Amino acid sequence: MRKYFEFARVQMQVHAAYSAWFWANTFSILLRMLVIYFFWKAVYSSRTEIEGLPFDGMITYIIIAMFLQMFVSGVGQELAHTIKDGNVAIELMRPYNLITRLVAMDLGDKVIHFVRGALPLSILAFIFMDITLPTTWQAGLLFLLSAFMGIWIGTFFDLLIAILAFWTINLWGLQVMKEAVISFFSGALVPLILFPEWFQTISLFLPFQAMVYVPVAIYTGILTGTEAWLALGSQIFWVVSLFILLRILWSIAIKKVTIFGG
Amino acid sequence: MDFLLGVLSVMLQQFAGIFFVKIVFDHIHALNGWTFYEILFIYGIAATGRSIHHIFFDNLWTLGWQYIRPGKFDRLLIRPINPLFHFIADRLQQDGFGQLFIGIIVIGTAMPHLGISWGILEFFILVIMIISSGFIFVAINLFFATLSFWMVDSLPIVWTIFNLSDFARYPLTIYHKGIRHFLTWIVPYGFTAFYPAAYFIKGSGFERLALLTPVVAIFSCIIAYWFWNRGLKAFTSTGS
Repeated sequence: MRKYFEFARVQMQVHAAYSAWFWANTFSILLRMLVIYFFWKAVYSSRTEIEGLPFDGMITYIIIAMFLQMFVSGVGQELAHTIKDGNVAIELMRPYNLITRLVAMDLGDKVIHFVRGALPLSILAFIFMDITLPTTWQAGLLFLLSAFMGIWIGTFFDLLIAILAFWTINLWGLQVMKEAVISFFSGALVPLILFPEWFQTISLFLPFQAMVYVPVAIYTGILTGTEAWLALGSQIFWVVSLFILLRILWSIAIKKVTIFGG
Repeated sequence: MDFLLGVLSVMLQQFAGIFFVKIVFDHIHALNGWTFYEILFIYGIAATGRSIHHIFFDNLWTLGWQYIRPGKFDRLLIRPINPLFHFIADRLQQDGFGQLFIGIIVIGTAMPHLGISWGILEFFILVIMIISSGFIFVAINLFFATLSFWMVDSLPIVWTIFNLSDFARYPLTIYHKGIRHFLTWIVPYGFTAFYPAAYFIKGSGFERLALLTPVVAIFSCIIAYWFWNRGLKAFTSTGS
């Protein structure tokens, strides 16, 4: 356990060293927030609510969802490249579990991202962009719990996709495709209640809404009471099943390496 | 298989953006006076213009980390052709065809709903506008990629500036005046989609400004190329 903690710590230091990318990221997020703000401002210029959501509810949803989406991806890139350049064979001989090590590093990344990026930026958003706090303190607590699970679902899913690198060369395409599907179905762009009925039904059976929509809907009071608890239940289901799927796919993939690598 | 994956992924990415606009327009009739098809048209021009950049000039992204840092760029300098041409021609990015494809479909979908009659002249202007849009993308990326000559890798800057083009997907009239001027006169992403599209939208009030699009494109390319040459000079005089 201790060695994985060290990996997470080192990763935080590495991250802090690349300050150019940090500023590029921060600035890009700020730009995106501006686009979002003005876009929705224009949308609400001639009405007071959409599907029961007033402007401040909508902008709160969109901004919180945007921040959460940044945390639902994982360390898949890293794994995919390790697989691609063949280093995975060496990594497998080292005295740690490769996936656990990557997840530990990812955790370090996320902590740093949260402290240096998401936290100050969301404080900024609270001050300047009419963002509201959770409707009740229970909703706030449930949000934290739900967001925590959403992040794990995203992390596992990301690793699952990355393992596909054993079978394809176009990692960039795979990554873009994954991002597109997630922003489609996870409710990262708009609350799923705005979607057509049939689309909402489909996404009920996919893991993506459990990544972003469920936590943020709880935060903004779209999901309350029994509905919220049911949604949390589905999140638990996805965490467990994606974890099992990941274990299975990884062991199949490793067999492939062992066959080729001798 | 990998080609298909690339094209498909880019198409899906574009489609996600369009789908988003569609969902929003299921609930409203107009965005600040702009209809769904007008927004779609702006979106289509942006996508098509960007695809020119994506297909032919994608290598600009890699100047710092794939050429200058590993010293690969010096190899280009000793060859008897223009280093910029050589560098650009090193790679053709097929994934961009997905974007081109989507862009054309989107433009085609929006065209009949704009309330103007499409003759040969209009088509000709549209093509000019799209090519100009593409070259504005190229010029902006080239300009900021050139910074790599001084700082080894300017990718974070190039990437940040490129993200500004997100603003250009919607009518510039929804933004604060300061943002609008910035995107018109400083980093002219406004001319990659909104102004060219506004030319074809009657009563938009931007028809005159829109005619500047090719001028802006040529002007941006000249500035970017001039800057590139300065960078090249600075690079060769410090390097070996």
